[in-house]
Amino acid sequence: MSSPILDSQLLENRRHFFGHASTGLGVAALASMLNPDLLAKEPTRDAARIGGLPGIPHFAPKAKRVIYLLQSGAPSQTDLFDYKPSLEKLHLTELPESIRKGQRLTGMTARQKSFPVVKSPWKFRQHGQSGTWISDLMPHMAGVVDDICVIKSMHTEAINHDPAITFFQSGHQQPGRPSIGSWLSYGLGSETENLPSFVVMLSKNTFHQAQPLYDRLWGSGFLASKYQGVKFRSQGDPVLYLSDPAAGGNVSRRAMLDRLAKLNHLREQQIGDPEITTRIAQYEMAYRMQTSVPELVDTSDEPESTFKLYGDDAKQPGTHAANCLLARRLAERGVRFIQVFHRGWDHHSNVQKYLPTLAKETDQGSAALIADLKRRNMLDETLVIWGGEFGRTIYSQGNPKTFGRDHHPRCFSIWMAGGGIKPGISYGQTDDYCYNIAENPVHVHDFHATILHCLGINHERLTHRFQGRDYRLTDVHGRVMKDILV
Amino acid sequence: MLNTTTTISIASLIALLPSLTVVADEIQFNRDVRPILANHCFTCHGPDSATRKAGLRLDRRESAMQKAESGERTIVPGNLQASELLRRITAKDDDERMPPADGAKPLSAKQITTLKTWIEQGAAYQPHWAYIPPTQQKIPKVIGSAWPRNKIDHFVLARTERAGLKQAREASRETLIRRVSFDLTGLPPTLKHVDAFLSDESPKSYERMVDRYLNSPAYGEHMARHWLDLARYADSNGYQYDTEREQWVWRDWVIDAYNRNKSFDKFTIEQLAGDLLPNTTPQQRLATGFNRNHGITIEGGVIDEEYRTEYVMDRLVTTGEVWLGLTIGCARCHDHKFDPISQKEFYQLYAFFNRVPERGMRGFAPLERIPSPLAASQQQGHDAELAQLKAKLNDPNEIERRFTEWTKRIAETPGSGWSVLTPISMKSSGGSTLTKLDDNSILAGGKNPPTEVYEITARTNATDLTAIRLEALTHKSLPGGGPGRHTNSNFVLSEFEATAVSVKDASRKQTIKFVRAIADYSQAGYEIAKTIDGTVAGNNGWAVDGPTRKKPVTAMFIAAAPFGFKGGTELRFRLRHEASFGTHSVGRPRFSVTSDARDTLQLQGIPSEIRQILSKTPSQRTGDENKQLRDYFLANQTGSNPLQQRIAAIEKQKAAAVPATMIMQDMAQPRTTHILDRGQYNKPTDKVTVGVPAIFPPMAKNAPQNRLGFARWLVSPAHPLTARVAVNRYWQRLFGVGLVKTSEDFGVQGELPSHPELLDWLALEFIRSGWDIKSMHRLIVNSATYRQDAHVGAAAYGRDPNNRLLGRGPRMRIDAEEIRDAALAVSGRLVQRVGGKSVYPYQPKGLWLELNNRPGYSKAYPRGSGDDLYRRSIYTFWKRTVPSPMLKTFDAPEREFCTIHRSRTNTPLQALLLLNGPQFVEAARTLGQRMMTEGGRSIDDRITYGFRLVTARRPSNAELVVLCEYYTNDVKRYSNDQAAALKLLNVGESTFRTELNVAELAAFAGVARLLLNLDEAITKG
Repeated sequence: MSSPILDSQLLENRRHFFGHASTGLGVAALASMLNPDLLAKEPTRDAARIGGLPGIPHFAPKAKRVIYLLQSGAPSQTDLFDYKPSLEKLHLTELPESIRKGQRLTGMTARQKSFPVVKSPWKFRQHGQSGTWISDLMPHMAGVVDDICVIKSMHTEAINHDPAITFFQSGHQQPGRPSIGSWLSYGLGSETENLPSFVVMLSKNTFHQAQPLYDRLWGSGFLASKYQGVKFRSQGDPVLYLSDPAAGGNVSRRAMLDRLAKLNHLREQQIGDPEITTRIAQYEMAYRMQTSVPELVDTSDEPESTFKLYGDDAKQPGTHAANCLLARRLAERGVRFIQVFHRGWDHHSNVQKYLPTLAKETDQGSAALIADLKRRNMLDETLVIWGGEFGRTIYSQGNPKTFGRDHHPRCFSIWMAGGGIKPGISYGQTDDYCYNIAENPVHVHDFHATILHCLGINHERLTHRFQGRDYRLTDVHGRVMKDILV
Repeated sequence: MLNTTTTISIASLIALLPSLTVVADEIQFNRDVRPILANHCFTCHGPDSATRKAGLRLDRRESAMQKAESGERTIVPGNLQASELLRRITAKDDDERMPPADGAKPLSAKQITTLKTWIEQGAAYQPHWAYIPPTQQKIPKVIGSAWPRNKIDHFVLARTERAGLKQAREASRETLIRRVSFDLTGLPPTLKHVDAFLSDESPKSYERMVDRYLNSPAYGEHMARHWLDLARYADSNGYQYDTEREQWVWRDWVIDAYNRNKSFDKFTIEQLAGDLLPNTTPQQRLATGFNRNHGITIEGGVIDEEYRTEYVMDRLVTTGEVWLGLTIGCARCHDHKFDPISQKEFYQLYAFFNRVPERGMRGFAPLERIPSPLAASQQQGHDAELAQLKAKLNDPNEIERRFTEWTKRIAETPGSGWSVLTPISMKSSGGSTLTKLDDNSILAGGKNPPTEVYEITARTNATDLTAIRLEALTHKSLPGGGPGRHTNSNFVLSEFEATAVSVKDASRKQTIKFVRAIADYSQAGYEIAKTIDGTVAGNNGWAVDGPTRKKPVTAMFIAAAPFGFKGGTELRFRLRHEASFGTHSVGRPRFSVTSDARDTLQLQGIPSEIRQILSKTPSQRTGDENKQLRDYFLANQTGSNPLQQRIAAIEKQKAAAVPATMIMQDMAQPRTTHILDRGQYNKPTDKVTVGVPAIFPPMAKNAPQNRLGFARWLVSPAHPLTARVAVNRYWQRLFGVGLVKTSEDFGVQGELPSHPELLDWLALEFIRSGWDIKSMHRLIVNSATYRQDAHVGAAAYGRDPNNRLLGRGPRMRIDAEEIRDAALAVSGRLVQRVGGKSVYPYQPKGLWLELNNRPGYSKAYPRGSGDDLYRRSIYTFWKRTVPSPMLKTFDAPEREFCTIHRSRTNTPLQALLLLNGPQFVEAARTLGQRMMTEGGRSIDDRITYGFRLVTARRPSNAELVVLCEYYTNDVKRYSNDQAAALKLLNVGESTFRTELNVAELAAFAGVARLLLNLDEAITKG
């Protein structure tokens, strides 16, 4: 056993913004407090890393950060990305048992007597040099297909929302494990001392049957709670408790913090507990956040061209487009893992009515984010992901005329872009029914292994010992999908 | 400053601390060898038979000494040359060398040397320490014999003396009382208590102070608060929709048990198996709520057995961690990789918990209504008053008096009441089967179409009708026995329409226009008015929270003008169900009409036949009619009678006070338990019966083969783990780190105890005392070890940053709940009422709805007011998917599962919360007011008063100067800016004392904010 006390306890007690050298940096923070010029400085994107585990990254990373646009509720692959001309003939025929193979269905359709195949009512076209097929529901994504990799052969074991999204977020269907973002904060530390390294944003939900989200989806599980995602909100304070309810201008806050630091410092001299120095530094960081966060979420400094790119939605806080724009601004400021949750894809009835709304809500912002990162030369170092927790059935839930689609874990589509992913390709194939995978399956564990790989991490070696066992995001599974890497 | 006089280089301590032992020549298997084998070899050569390679296991001596499948002997004691193990770990060839390149981490040179030395010395094995029962320990001799206050100190001092360190001096009196107060009650000491302690010069003053805190009701709250983390207690069901549950009654049981000092063995048996005790009492059954605190799903479409399996797993894993300090969950899928617990043994334990008559989906039953032990006296008061009121109510003279009064009153009020209509035709657009029932309601069944329009006709001879009443009744054939046809019992009535047609002349038709609709219940966002607004777009309609409320509902529609034709009217009703949710039709409608004046209409009126009788004079009524009247009166004794109103109010209070709480039960015919392949619910293999792992002493011969037998086995004095695990957790709570640092894992992968003899001694002392929890705490906090100063200066701190050698007193940031409670306490706002329903203090707006705004399954945070804002944090409503941000920011867990120790982090978000959280700002301004009104006359005195309230000590001169200067500046600022002062003084719900000078009050509030943000304010030390 290597020194267990020093290994874990030191790490536990250091804030991840300052890392191992906390005493030194804490003192620096104290000094900077007395010198306001130091505070005014914008953080640079090349700022040294703060926190993280020694030896990580294991190899040179392609991606410095991740923006993950999670589409909760499960978008329909058949109607968006997985073009199936074979369905023209199969439309309204019964899904054969040879395809279904007695697979588990949800309680919603398990008792349905017939399973008629329903083709997508939307037209698909090829786009870009790559000739990637995209449905007409995603006109803006059609414009960036040469920059993305569509994976059509994702699969998972979970068939209900809660276990499925928990699995995607943490590698395990039951609650209790750390989320991807918290693993990365823990392993890689932060690139900014003005912002948290893991930020979560929720789009305002418009669909009446949307699935709920839960704090644990960005929780830190058994890792220290400082690694959990920090929610940036579109109502009230962007970060909880950011503003002073009795605000009387910065002068008084500064005056108070100076005296607070003085008193804490007096105490520290007596006791010698380095935690006090750390706390002084935390107050400084809090102070900086009171400036840096409002400045970050205020997009009024963006030129009109930005809103042309992201669409007018981007001016409405809490829309998917606005969150995509904020994601870019967070990425510019060194935030490691940015996750946007968009809800409302769970269309058990009336796909024709609801799906276009959801596609419209997400299409332009997602495409704009790719284009924006690219023109800023950031796409190469930013891994962008778009996808849900499973797919939807090719057979109709309920009446085929007003068809719905039930949960389908056996195959679904997501896309990844930038950060070491091959652009302009489609990966994996499904069968003629878009029901089973025909070629190159990608499991959730493989997806996780690949994300970590892009960030320079061997997924088998980012571990945390908890209750006597070395846990990892990919449990005891996961293959890096080399075929989709640059 | 430094009490440790010996100078030791940091380097030598780092070499020393990792194993926490003095370097010795003799290799000890447990300390030196097992960790190497466990980390590098056991995965393939350990207890798990499924992954074992080459038939070799190294965790047992006899098998390591045998010939392996290769024919070689792995270990030959004393003979390096003949030991295959050594050859393999030092082999040059990559294919030969162990561990293999693609496997565990390679061995370091130092580890190889350790293994060599061990084999040379005879390769002695030791059983894992934690599986050997604790043994009687001799009290060690120490050099500094003046220091120890009790036996704990002998063990501690012997250890520090061996390491060449010294103990710190005793902490100051102020520090001690603050430390003890927080540790035993979770609250800061009051100044009255501080002053009393400072002036008490008797030799037993400290012990007296300790006893006072042990006897405070706040002790039980504080102890319970820790237990709730272990018990994964929450007020919501977790998983997806995270609906509410009423387990707070169980929480009250825990508080009460600690305050009564229930012994740990009883505390254990009642929580694990109170339902199985002979002559079980309601309170003992209430205790079993411990194992129903896991999450429960209500997600549509889940497979019942899958989730039921998870609940049983959670119970076993939690019980294993809490009482055994073992990670037995590892053996769910395969034999444990490190500890001697096989998969079969796991499922034998699982069988104990697999007999609850429960389901996976909505698995709330079994439930029982049991009052909170803390509400018992209140409950008795209620019962006595109820008995009195009911006696009065049933007194025949009283009944006669009220009956006469009632008949008179009703006869004098005009109106005919509601007449129920008999349907004559019933049509369904979607194909539902509509059946008329005897009470003239219409039951829908059969096909359940996505959208549906009912067309019902009925006749009436009445004219001048003013309103139509629609009752949506429940029926056992409807889903969940609720009012709607959707699987969740809900309905959405998109639009309600009515037409009146003359019976005599069908060409005379009138569409009835409604001016108002009133319902006795509507779901938020789905108000009754939406049924008469002429639109069905956007799912506009009336719904009634079917998923959570399965009760009948009533609505009435008031017409713009009286309707009804002379000679009879046919009424045609259209109930349009056109929301996109699908299958949301009303399940059992019934229609009534009335001619009563619009302003006297009530949803539940007196039936018209009763009114008719009442319209006669008493002498005109027949005997039958009188009986009818009397029967009706007796059956409907609700309403305006003050006696009945009082009874109803008390019964309502009583019902809310005794909700149905989840408890444990065993099925009469227990389920058969199987080993589950890879732990999967749908892959049962071999049958197993209940049993305990072979590594432990067996259950008593005559013990019942159920949870009761299991619980008694846990607390049998021969058990090697239970007492050690419990006392270690108490130690961890008081000192920050347990004697075994991995308090959740006493197994092979856990850390060795820093003071093994002390741990054993404490465990045996705990058992000897009759598992007396208060005594154990008294013993520890009375020790000299606990009373040491934590202030030893940076150099001494650096030598043992985690204080594993206990050379100084404990110092750590207090927990989230203590931070909030302390702020409330020093401000004088804390409401110290013990027990009861959970409350909703301040929290930023929108946190619940932004994660879940699904109609019928979500709601906004129902922020409380008044006292509810200032209760102790243990009573803050705990919603698993959105825990209180005040608590979570300071490392409170989500309570999704058992948490043995919280992380203790230091982040900027904590600074923001303490600086800006309204709860803290309000507490600060109230503290400022206290300083100004209670703290004396001078500024110095007032600031000193506040400082003492927060820290229990007086500020130094340097500190006072900083604070006074801050105050003086702020008074100036606020004098020039009254608005800023008022802004601060109006944060929070409570009011400030307006007779005080606003600028001064605001400046004191500012100083108080500073005080509450001091590192010292949130640290015990």
